[in-house]
This record gives sequence, structure tokens and C-alpha cells, in this order.
Amino acid sequence: MNAKRTSGFTSLALLSSLILLLSVELHAQEPGERPKPTLYVVDSLNVEQKQTFFQGFTLSGDLFGLIQKYTSDYGVFEGALRVNFKNKYFPIVEAGYAICETTNEDTHISYETKAPYLRAGLDINMLKNKWQNNRLYLGARYGISKFNYDISGPEQTDKIWGVSQPFHFKDISTTAHWIEFIAGVQVKIWGNFHMGWSVRFKTAISKGSTDYGTPYYIPGYGTTTSGTCWGATYNLSFDLNWGRKKNKTMLNAVVHPVSPQSPPKQHRVEDEQTKEETE
Amino acid sequence: MFMSVLTLTAALAVACSSNNCPLDNTVTCNYYFYDSNDNPISLYDTLTVSVLLPGHDTLYTYRIVGYPTITSKTRIDSLVSQGYKEVVSIIRHDSILINQVVNASHLELPMAYFNKADTLVFDYFNLRNNDTIYIDHDNMPQVNLPECGSYMFHRITGVKNTNAAIDKLEITNPNVNYERKENIRIHFAGTIE
Repeated sequence: MNAKRTSGFTSLALLSSLILLLSVELHAQEPGERPKPTLYVVDSLNVEQKQTFFQGFTLSGDLFGLIQKYTSDYGVFEGALRVNFKNKYFPIVEAGYAICETTNEDTHISYETKAPYLRAGLDINMLKNKWQNNRLYLGARYGISKFNYDISGPEQTDKIWGVSQPFHFKDISTTAHWIEFIAGVQVKIWGNFHMGWSVRFKTAISKGSTDYGTPYYIPGYGTTTSGTCWGATYNLSFDLNWGRKKNKTMLNAVVHPVSPQSPPKQHRVEDEQTKEETE
Repeated sequence: MFMSVLTLTAALAVACSSNNCPLDNTVTCNYYFYDSNDNPISLYDTLTVSVLLPGHDTLYTYRIVGYPTITSKTRIDSLVSQGYKEVVSIIRHDSILINQVVNASHLELPMAYFNKADTLVFDYFNLRNNDTIYIDHDNMPQVNLPECGSYMFHRITGVKNTNAAIDKLEITNPNVNYERKENIRIHFAGTIE
């Protein structure tokens, strides 16, 4: 039943298309008149750039950790290498060296560690226009640090048994790992130089607790005063265009004939010429 | 931009530096009392708990018929010449941790910081014999946050006991810290039913 109805509709459509074509042909070829070439005028011209997948590298350094190092008991020296895929996806590796040297004035307990750390993850550019120089991104990281730390303090006294012993332990070895969620911005300041900041919410998978307790400071993570922690970076970055391929330019031209009877036609002209990204 | 980053830095520094030290940070090993059928009980007897300490004293005891007994930590030669009978004994140093507690259902007792074994003596008022509990443990110096100071945590590795009133001991949580969890169950002989 359905097949018959569909077949009827198809026949009707074909017939009406044929009548329409014949009427157009009849109008175009009046007796005694030679066919004239149709003139088309460009109504609008849009240039689309089809982005190539790989868009280059970015090197960056963290200024926030440096400032923190000289204004508090801890800080980091951190650099990052980021890959740009279609100006949207940015796989990133961050490596750094953290230093923490602190002594509490009330308890006289000292904590010290100097160790490297590594983070890897992905940023996603959330702006609709991926071609502008500024970026607003969300991202995530997995971080890990294998480090040694020292703790020392006043000697411990057992008042019941009446014995005291020094409290000084060196090179306690442990490994911590954690996850970070990131929101940040990046703006172009000059040429290939960009500057930006990020806010990071960090949650520990393992704080690397040992028989001596939980380390007070984890390189790359921060202090362990609670289960989660907030952090920040202030980055100066430089775009490296090494290995970046050229983008393919597509022209979309809307054209219409001079003759007012004919409706405008849209032609897509594919320009095989390649054009280097101007950014 | 730079000022906003500095403000953010200050805010984050404050956010990550709050004090999280425990209010009750006394490290104790927690003993809970049960009967033979694992029912929690309170001990009606008056209980005194002491711990043996390193070191000992020599005690001299002098007795003679018709006169009171004399004890001394030094030898008294004149009493021997007067006909007193001398008995020499070794007395371990000890310290009373719990003195004459009644109706106790549990005890919170400290452990030695630097010894690997503790010996506790349970002295019952209505029983002629005492019980002795031997606890083997490791000691773990701890610092979690420098502002909270240092602690000594312990890990219980073994327990033994005598059987005057106690049936058996059971380690329920070997980690001794300031969390106030039950560490050892003391099963006394008999049931409440």
C-alpha cells in the first residue's frame, strides 16, 4: 500500500519537474531569437578557512610560582609545552621544580622538600571564533611527583616512661598524584607572545602518606591542609610555528544573473590556492 | 591584569593556609570490655591499671615472730644481727595509669614512645590475682602539619595476656592514633546472660 503511494508521488514529482523545465526552455528560446549568454554579478563573497589539524606549538613559563617563591615559604619554577590542534584542542605537558622550606614559629617543626613534578592534560578553547588571538579555555590535568622530604623539630619526650629522643628525619621518600580542573584566559600581547592566567581546583588521588604522616607540601600540588586545594598560574607564552601546515582557503560566492527573471544562484568556488594563516 | 593576579594570589594563599589541627590530639590505645560471647560489658569490680617501667629496685624485707614486718630499699645489718629473717626481692618500677575505676566499659591508655613492648598490670579489688597484658608495637613519629606539632603514633603487632579474669584479647584496629577508635577488645571470662 505504502509502496504504491510512494510510487504515485514520485511519478507526480517527475511529471511536474518536466513541465517546469519545458516552460523554462520555451521562455528561453523564443522563435527568431538567438540565445544570449547570461551575465552573473557577485552579490556577496565569503572567505572560509578550512583549518588544518596541526597548528603549531606553544612554550610557556609560570610567573605566579616565581612570585610565590620569593614571597612565601614555597614556590615553583614551571614551564609547559602545548600543542595546538585546530585552535581548539591543546594537549599540554607541564614540568616544574618545586621548593618548600618552612618552619612553624610556635611548634618549631620544620618541613623541607625540593623535587620535580610533571603534569599532563588537555585544554579546550571555548570561544566560538577560534581564529581570534584571545582564548578562553577549560582543561584538566593529571599530576605526579616522586619526592623526598625532611622533617625535624624539638625532641619528643615520653612523660610516663621518662625518655626523650631527637625528632629529625631525612629523605623520607614518597609519591603523590592528583587531578586538576582548570579555567583560564590567554591574550595576545605582541607578535607571538601571549599572556594569561588560570585558576586551578586540585584534588589529591594520593597524598603519599608515609609512616611519618602526610607530607605538608607536595611539589606541583601545594599544601595538604585539606583534601582539595586551589592554585593559580600566570603564564607568559610564545607560539612556535614550527611544523605548522598551511590552511586551505575556500571561497563562497553568492552570484545572481543580470536578468531579473532568474533567481540568484549560489556557486561554490573552491580555490586550490593555499593561503598562509595571517595570525 | 597584574593587580587582579596579585589579589587572586593573596586570596588563594589565605584559602590554603587554614588551621586544621585536631582539637583532641591525645594519642591513646583504646581497650573495650566484652564478655566471652562478644557482648559489651562494664566491669563492676574496682580496677587499677599500672604499667611496668624500665629499671627496678632491690627490696629488703625483715620479719621476726611477734614484731611488725620491716621493708627497706637498703640493707639493714643491725636487724639481721637481732635475729630478723631477711628476704631480698627485685621490684620493677611502675606507674599507675588508672586508679580504682568502677563500672568501666573501656580504657584509654598511653603507649611507650620508644619501647617496642608494654606490660600492663590489671589489679582487681575483688580478685586475689592480677592480670598482666603484654602488647608489642611499632612506634611512628608523625608530623602532618607543622603548626600542629609532632605526635607519636603506634601500630600494634601482637598481644598476650594472663587469665585471672581475662579470657582473651583481640586486636580490632592496630593503628593507635588520636581518632579514638577501638584498638583492643578485652574479653573477660563468663557471660552477662
